[in-house]
Amino acid sequence: MKEATALKPIRKITWKASVSLRRISASSVFLYAACLVVIFMTACAIAPQWIAPYSPEVMDPNQLLQPPGAVHLLGTDYFGRDVFSLVVYGARDSLLIGVASVLVGGGLGGVIGALSGYIGGWVDVIVMRLIEILMSIPGILLALAIAAAVGPSLFNIVLAVSAGVIPNYARVMRSQVLTVKNKPYVLASRSIGSSELSIFLKHVLPNSLSPFLVMATVGIGSSILTSSGLSFLGLGVIKEIPDWGTVLSQGRGYLTVAWWICTFPGAAIALFVLSVNVIGDRVRDTLDPRKSGD
Amino acid sequence: MNKRRASNWMKFVLVSAAFVLVLTGCASSKGAGDTGTPKAAAEGSGSSSSSGGELSYALATSPDSLDPGKSGYAVSHRVFRNIYDSLVSELPDGTFKPWLAESWTKSADGKSYTFKLRHNVKFHDGTPFNAAAVKATLDHTQTLTGQARTLIGPFKSAEVISEDTIKVNLTEPFEPLLSGLSSAFLGISSPKALQQYGEQYGKHPVGTGPFKFVSWSENDQIVLEKNAEYNWGPPIADNKGASHLDKLTFKIVPEEATRIGSVQSGQVLAAETVPPQNILTLKNDPNIKLDTAITNGTPYTLYFNTSNAPWSDLKLRDAVRSAVDVDTIVKTLYLGTYQRAWSVLTPGILGYDASLENSVKADAAKANQLLDELGWTKGADGIREKDGKKLTLRYLESSPNREKRNDIAAIVQQQLKQVGVDVKLTITKDTVTPLTQGEYDLVGNSQVKADPDILRNLFRSDRVYGKGGYNYVKLNDPGIDKLLNQGYQETDPEKRKAAYAQIQQYVIKNALALPIYVFPYTVAHSSSVEGLKFDLLGYPQFYDVTIRK
Repeated sequence: MKEATALKPIRKITWKASVSLRRISASSVFLYAACLVVIFMTACAIAPQWIAPYSPEVMDPNQLLQPPGAVHLLGTDYFGRDVFSLVVYGARDSLLIGVASVLVGGGLGGVIGALSGYIGGWVDVIVMRLIEILMSIPGILLALAIAAAVGPSLFNIVLAVSAGVIPNYARVMRSQVLTVKNKPYVLASRSIGSSELSIFLKHVLPNSLSPFLVMATVGIGSSILTSSGLSFLGLGVIKEIPDWGTVLSQGRGYLTVAWWICTFPGAAIALFVLSVNVIGDRVRDTLDPRKSGD
Repeated sequence: MNKRRASNWMKFVLVSAAFVLVLTGCASSKGAGDTGTPKAAAEGSGSSSSSGGELSYALATSPDSLDPGKSGYAVSHRVFRNIYDSLVSELPDGTFKPWLAESWTKSADGKSYTFKLRHNVKFHDGTPFNAAAVKATLDHTQTLTGQARTLIGPFKSAEVISEDTIKVNLTEPFEPLLSGLSSAFLGISSPKALQQYGEQYGKHPVGTGPFKFVSWSENDQIVLEKNAEYNWGPPIADNKGASHLDKLTFKIVPEEATRIGSVQSGQVLAAETVPPQNILTLKNDPNIKLDTAITNGTPYTLYFNTSNAPWSDLKLRDAVRSAVDVDTIVKTLYLGTYQRAWSVLTPGILGYDASLENSVKADAAKANQLLDELGWTKGADGIREKDGKKLTLRYLESSPNREKRNDIAAIVQQQLKQVGVDVKLTITKDTVTPLTQGEYDLVGNSQVKADPDILRNLFRSDRVYGKGGYNYVKLNDPGIDKLLNQGYQETDPEKRKAAYAQIQQYVIKNALALPIYVFPYTVAHSSSVEGLKFDLLGYPQFYDVTIRK
């Protein structure tokens, strides 16, 4: 009996130690890999012509549906276009939509939430009810409805994707502002006669930003997923250079004969979203005040 | 704390990964059909003889209505052809044989037809088939705006002469009448059912055909069963009695991969519209047979809107035609399974002008030369300009991507870019608005019909889009109008052919249209399904089908 109780804690400690050791090393490896992926894909988005071996517009009728190989790294599609080059060039629109949607949706949501929380009173009540109404509509459904109504263009897709995320940002921002605005340093600042605007800009806003930033980082990934979903459903932007979701959608009819057409753009989406999430996780660790207080 | 964060993180990753996996559809499903049991469905039902059994047939789209007077879709025809019989039957050579009408005579002025009807024919609801039923059906089409109304042309009235004689009066001679009457769109409905169901008749169709309607669950399936009393089949069928099949089920499976996969796995015995890339793989599958029927009417063609400058200029249209390499388009996208089209009529139709074959050819050098001659010079971005205006072509195509038509647009865009024409592509679900407002320079379309009179709807000056016509070209040429009228009024087939040949040559000579491909209606079916035939329009005929045990 005594022996058993004596042994148990030792086992527990060793188990815990090994787990946390593995977690640390694994997470930093993940982090570096994730950073590499994001850097590479951003490079693809900025200067695809330096990375892609072919132009994504060149259709070679003699190279239809070639499997991955030495000449075409990831194979060719049904137009005879190089799939690797398509994925590289497709990064631009996909990333652009992801980042722009977060800027628009997050920006709007953040401003609404912060102001609503800081002003409080009946403004807060009304704004938050409106936000809740928006929230009751599933994001992808809202995006679908908007995309279908206004028609396909890059701007409209950004609009459609960002509309769905506004409530989330607004609520996060508002709850932070509500916490911060009653902190002693804010009350102190007010007591020495600072104007409301300067309190809001100098004290409340900077101290409320961190969860919002974490959310925005991760949000890039989910925005890319949503926009790819829209492209996949045929509501995306139709351009000479398709984004990942469009390639995925167009290639799915060929899944049984040419799996590479939609597998690689799909993998690019998965990899990018995964990487952004890994980085977002680390950003949260760094910014979390409770964590730093530990 | 750590654990919760880790699990949240994992949740995010898993959800994202799952979503992408769903999008990519689990990449390596190459052998979707290998895992199934191909003959399970065939063995599962029916008796042991060659007759009996159930044929399940996967359709790509859903019919809108099973009221033949109301619908205009080919897919509806595929279904209700089995429910309704027609007065006459058109043979592949374009001649007509008796079906529900035993014989007929045409008046000297070509304005009235008298049909002598067959006896002892009964509708599925027990109502006897007679002249009153024919009149009720024809009158019914006039209350609606379906394909049937177009097919019967200048219909004036139907007169019941006696129980078994009906006279159809027209306001002017109309040669395509018999061809129209042979279509299931003018199949004869039970007058009792028409009256009983009224607006809801499309959901309760009653005809005299080899199959009776059983049920229709929206976007899922339509079930028909054998009409045991049937012995008045069309002359083109081998079968003289009731159908060999006990049951005929149409499943609606819009997703290509699923539809083809379900034939391979044996969930259905047959599936329509097989995509080209699957045709090649299915050819090597010993359990699957492929049948192809050429559809008739107009091939998929790109029509210029000649009312918009600068495309009103023949030379400019000719330049575009020279720049578009149709052979490459058809070979690339359809992998040798579709034929290239040369005229605005399909090869199997009366009056098709074979002399147009190989009459145009892709020649980028000629295109460049023509554009240079017209004064369009290349700007810094490679796009040609004239008087400060860029040479743009607004190309309108509808979504979803039916028969890879959106991909044709993508290739045309690339090919025209080579010669300095900027193609502004609009791919939209709502093509009605831009078509009505004339906001397009090039638009694609195809039509299914057995008679060349279809050209009247496309090229006669009064057949404006939005007013019942499809004059995408906005052609207004009295000479062509006259020829089109001659085409449907003329009784001598040779004179009709000559008129249509002239029209086709005019269209190609003036580069009004770019014919692209002739659509082959392709059906993949289990090798146990035998006797599947296709009519003149490429519609499947199920009356002769047997399922081998």
